[in-house]
Amino acid sequence: MTAEQHARIRVRQRRRREFGRHLVLGLIAFILVAPFYYVLLASLKDSTEIFSYPPKLLPIPPYFGNYRDLLWNTGFLRWMFNTLFVATSVTVLKVFLDSMAGYALAKIEFTGRRLVFLLMVILLMVPIGALIVPLWSMVSGLGLINTYWALILPPLANPLGAILMRQFILGLPRDLENAARLDGLSEFAIYWRIVLPLIKPGLVVLAVIIFTDQFMSFTWPLIATTSDELQVLTVGIAALRAHGGANYGVWSASAVMSLVPIGVFFFVLQRQFLARSLAGALKQ
Amino acid sequence: MTPTDTYSGPAIELIEVAKHYGKVTVLDRVDLTVAPGEFIALLGPSGCGKSTLLKLIAGLDELSHGEIHIAGRLANYLKPAERDVAMVFQNYALYPHMTVRENMGFPLKMSGIARDIVTAKVDEAASLLQLNAQLDRFPDELSGGQRQRVALGRAIVREPYVFLMDEPLSNLDALLRVEMRAELVRLHKRVGRTTIYVTHDQVEAMTMANRIVLMKGGVVQQVGTPAEIYATPANTFVATFVGSPPMNLFKGHIGGAQFHGSFDIPVPARVTSGDVTLGIRPEHVEIVEAGDKEGLAATIDVVERVGPDAYLRMTTQAGATVTARVDGASRAREGERVALRLPPARLSFFDAAGNRMSIDKEG
Repeated sequence: MTAEQHARIRVRQRRRREFGRHLVLGLIAFILVAPFYYVLLASLKDSTEIFSYPPKLLPIPPYFGNYRDLLWNTGFLRWMFNTLFVATSVTVLKVFLDSMAGYALAKIEFTGRRLVFLLMVILLMVPIGALIVPLWSMVSGLGLINTYWALILPPLANPLGAILMRQFILGLPRDLENAARLDGLSEFAIYWRIVLPLIKPGLVVLAVIIFTDQFMSFTWPLIATTSDELQVLTVGIAALRAHGGANYGVWSASAVMSLVPIGVFFFVLQRQFLARSLAGALKQ
Repeated sequence: MTPTDTYSGPAIELIEVAKHYGKVTVLDRVDLTVAPGEFIALLGPSGCGKSTLLKLIAGLDELSHGEIHIAGRLANYLKPAERDVAMVFQNYALYPHMTVRENMGFPLKMSGIARDIVTAKVDEAASLLQLNAQLDRFPDELSGGQRQRVALGRAIVREPYVFLMDEPLSNLDALLRVEMRAELVRLHKRVGRTTIYVTHDQVEAMTMANRIVLMKGGVVQQVGTPAEIYATPANTFVATFVGSPPMNLFKGHIGGAQFHGSFDIPVPARVTSGDVTLGIRPEHVEIVEAGDKEGLAATIDVVERVGPDAYLRMTTQAGATVTARVDGASRAREGERVALRLPPARLSFFDAAGNRMSIDKEG
């Protein structure tokens, strides 16, 4: 066989391997995307069309009745407001508190620092189910059940963020703080003016984690609130069945609509995060 | 006007300064007086406590014992920013999210100085350090030398009473280091401020400093001008740490105005009897022709040529190794037999504990 034939065989083998790889990736993509498409499709069909056989793969003409019902005949807008209000409040407060706690754990010498950190790590291993009853009795004892505080305060105590921030801040050289100290900055000013700007990628990661976690949180909001006025999206959508029976079209529309804000939030921050972290990586 | 403007005593006074971490002593009762405008190098191997001492002076670490006076004020309880010192860090410690201008102006901005004055001072320092073209860049867009200059600029704009520098050139390549060394000396002459400079590089210390403080294991070994330290080392550690190649040392004992060791040579009568270490700098070892009656017979093992000089590594008949520094043009060959003379006037003597014997101070 000539060298040219060898080369041709190699190219053919490579193409075959690549085709196989693409096939597997395509299959995985299909498995991931198909349910979303099905939900989107169902939200644009009326209740008879949803179960028609064979199923229509394109919603032509699209039916917007489900969205109309969702927006005007349910508490969807209220739920959305509650969810965004709670998730945003928790995110802002928690990013601020976690980064401060992370700074203290990483950079300030105080007695019991290691013990505090160890306790926080141990706390991570306690499942939420084990905490719910004592948490409820605490929040109830404070008279906060059925208030926004009941939804905002408990998540602030989750130690994951502070641990994450500690790791980010540990990576900053100590001489930076020393330089800041010589420049006359107080401990809080060092945190605010030097440390925070430098851990922006970490803050964005934390914000995304907290926001999505709050957006999808179900068990605690279900237990901590009983009033319709305070219902969040997850609880409200789950309750749709109880109110109006199984209307799959409206359900699907609610699923699609609830994806919008979190999608926007994630997209905006993710772009910023990717830009920052990539810039850092390339400069190294 | 700072209180330091009218003060005329020592710039810095360290009295029994000590630092312990638990049971570990990092600095052991350091006493030092620094005159205004002096350039002092803290020299020593890694872990000798020189950076710790600098941090104590800056107020970035707490003293375990002793007193630090800066411009006559007891500084023990002053915050770093209240000590009127500026520090240049080994890794520059520039704020990555600020431009060069912002980095240099930051300390002034923090002390509440008006924006136009900050701009003027930053511009002045930038021209001094040739950084005008880089003022709007971020630190990661600068070369190592430029970053180093920005770090210096940040210290200069503050017009501090004392400059503290923690191995500021150690991250630069060899050529740039030599350039920056000269630049720093020029800068010191121009600005005229007291400077304490930490380094483990003896060449930096010898070429830049008015006085060197040589440290080992948290203890000051010797304080003196570069010439004093080189010519009259206080102990065997100083003798071997300063000078490249280091001083030749030979163990033996003195008896009857003779050194008895791996070779016997006459020594000045003033040297007291007992166990000693005899030392001689490589450039003081004289090479004479083999067979010289007063010389020690030796064989050249290795000839290292380093441009203007050549280092001859030799072994005497009794097995002692001796290094000599000779002219680079020397025709010495490896394997050649020679004779060595160790002029008595050039000899140093150290007692059994390794400390310099008083004979040399008299002589």
